[in-house]
Amino acid sequence: MHIPDGYLTPEVAGITLLITLGILLVATRKISLEKKSVNEKIPLFTALSAGIFVAQMIAWPIPGGTSLHLIGGALAGILVGPWLGVLSMTLVLLIQCLIFHDGGLTAIGANVLNMGIVGVLVGYTVFKIIQRISRKVWLSSFLAGWLSMTLAGLACGIELGISWNSTLPLYVMTSWHAVLGLVEGLITGGVVSYLTLKLPKTVWWS
Amino acid sequence: MLTRKTLLTLTTILLLSPIFGVILAEELGYHEPLDIVAEELKLNESEFTWTPLKDYTVPGLPEWLGYIICGALGVLVIVFAGYVIKVALGRREIEFSNS
Repeated sequence: MHIPDGYLTPEVAGITLLITLGILLVATRKISLEKKSVNEKIPLFTALSAGIFVAQMIAWPIPGGTSLHLIGGALAGILVGPWLGVLSMTLVLLIQCLIFHDGGLTAIGANVLNMGIVGVLVGYTVFKIIQRISRKVWLSSFLAGWLSMTLAGLACGIELGISWNSTLPLYVMTSWHAVLGLVEGLITGGVVSYLTLKLPKTVWWS
Repeated sequence: MLTRKTLLTLTTILLLSPIFGVILAEELGYHEPLDIVAEELKLNESEFTWTPLKDYTVPGLPEWLGYIICGALGVLVIVFAGYVIKVALGRREIEFSNS
């Protein structure tokens, strides 16, 4: 889902960059307010960021000639909290873009917005809502992962759709990611359940 | 910064990653939904590049090996960033406690 250079109009690229910078500013301020506890979370933040970076290098083949890679937004939000999760995904996306040209420089705002902000905040919010209804960790994190990827795909589709005045990107990106998101949900559910069981004190929400 | 167990897990995924990211991608020729959109709308990626490590390749090395090296480099940069953040937060904490 990494948008390369040339896929977005300068207007869409500029607006998404401004929105992203604004939200990153909010994230940084929110984190600085809880400074003391954040310091303790940095080892998990580092391990999580490295894990997401490596996991994104694995493209899973899907029948029909399509592939997907984990985004990890919901996972980040659930494990280290929404704002640190946003910064974790931003770090991963910046390294992918600047060092490995995975995603365009002009599209960095959109890519961070889709995967790093929408992906994390949707995943975190869904997880918290489902947790209030059902205490089942696996179900909450599965739905968080699934909706996180689906809405990240929707956001990407909207940006491409506005850029080229077409509804096709919206349909293609949302429908495909709604299907592929099931795998994201399964992985998120599996990892969160495992960590909750084995390392309950490291998980942010527990 | 990373525990031995985390390092072992990351190394295992890194060593397996070329199977999915390079070998199967070439054999099966699969693509992402974004590629479908690009094909339908006839979008072209800009040729401009700023790094020799584009798409996780290392010039002069086989693709699978370059993929692993790039993955390891990415992890190192993340660990370094985590270390810098931890040191910066630690310094701020000392400044706050002194003021």
